[in-house]
Amino acid sequence: MKATIFDYGAGNLHSLAKALSGAEVGIEPDPLRAIDTDLLVLPGVGAFAAAAASLAPGRKQMRAALDSGLPCVGICLGMQLLFDASEEGPGEGLGILPGQVTKLRARRIPQIGWNTLEEASDPLFERAPLPIAYFANGYACRPEEPGCVTAWSTHEGDRFPAAVRRGSVLGVQFHPEKSSSAGVRFLGAFLEEVARCS
Amino acid sequence: MLTRRLIACLDVKGGRVVKGVRFESLRDVGDPVELAVRYEHQGADEIVFLDISATLEERETLLEVARRTAERLFIPLTIGGGIRGADEVARALRAGADKVSINTAAVERPEVLSESAARFGSQCVVASIDARRENGGWRVHTHGGKEPTDLEAVAWARECVRRGAGEILLTSIDRDGGRSGYDLDLTRAVAEAVDVPVIASGGAGTAEHMSEALRRGGADAVLVAGILHDGMTTVTALKRRLAEAGIPMRLA
Repeated sequence: MKATIFDYGAGNLHSLAKALSGAEVGIEPDPLRAIDTDLLVLPGVGAFAAAAASLAPGRKQMRAALDSGLPCVGICLGMQLLFDASEEGPGEGLGILPGQVTKLRARRIPQIGWNTLEEASDPLFERAPLPIAYFANGYACRPEEPGCVTAWSTHEGDRFPAAVRRGSVLGVQFHPEKSSSAGVRFLGAFLEEVARCS
Repeated sequence: MLTRRLIACLDVKGGRVVKGVRFESLRDVGDPVELAVRYEHQGADEIVFLDISATLEERETLLEVARRTAERLFIPLTIGGGIRGADEVARALRAGADKVSINTAAVERPEVLSESAARFGSQCVVASIDARRENGGWRVHTHGGKEPTDLEAVAWARECVRRGAGEILLTSIDRDGGRSGYDLDLTRAVAEAVDVPVIASGGAGTAEHMSEALRRGGADAVLVAGILHDGMTTVTALKRRLAEAGIPMRLA
């Protein structure tokens, strides 16, 4: 199975690539080439505007690929790109999930550290329990349909989606590749799911 | 609920972890990759590598160490020391760092913080501040604590955040290596002045010191180095003690 990390920034992709090592991992800066894969990975480092700009030349095609069933995992900023737009900066997300990305309503921003996951309902959490995970985000997704949320977290008073799901598209606000062995196992469980369904 | 963090710090020089007292008298304490991975297994929440070498050759060595570490480490890695500009931030992130801490360069040219935050996001820009007590306040020092500046630490922390730093790594030079506890007044003064997370550093001797820095100092995280490298205690033992003291911690 081929997993392709869409490289839209200058972030650390080493740990993510290593955490996906169950698959044959490629790193691709071109959004059109990135969707020629079995699993698209939208990584989690950078700013929304810069990522949306890298995405723009292939946005429609990527959206169409996900709509027609290409499995995808979006991590942190990558999850936010699944939504329509962000307060953080200009540019369009993929709009796979209707909703906006807005600033966390908290004093301490960004939220940096390990936060507990609440009401985790995605079957992945049964196969690979992840009671707590590492977050580094100043913004959070606000889906129009809360039904897509498969785990929540709370920072100060703000409750926000920690994980969302639409078919074979998974979004996580936390960094599984930075959440120690339990996080790596969670990512591995998603890889297995994708392999089983393909 | 967001837990408080225990961060293991490794001072790296020439590809090896070293430890000094008040930024001086260095001795070798081990291999950075091995120590980082050991601390992850013990439950460390993050790892920091601080490059305390002075030469460019050694800096290349650190990036190589970061690459090897990122292959095996699955918790966040921060790299600091000698980072001058946004392009060097990019190289550190490319090498395997999740965050970069900037110290002297930010004092010399504060724009480096805003430039890095715009390109990579505030969450990966850590402003590192070394401060020494002086006349009832704290004076910022650069160049590994050697050079006094005209800056007052609390005001400088505010300025760093205004310019885009997403976290403050706050080191008391007076307490560094002394194991007599963090400078709680300094920690609290900065934690109250800024809205980003503050990491207390310098002076960790016991779990009680950490508990005080998190509670009374208002820090979000504590940095620990020497007492771990010496094998006096483990991350696991320290975090358990903190949890028993009622501080929300992630227990591995």
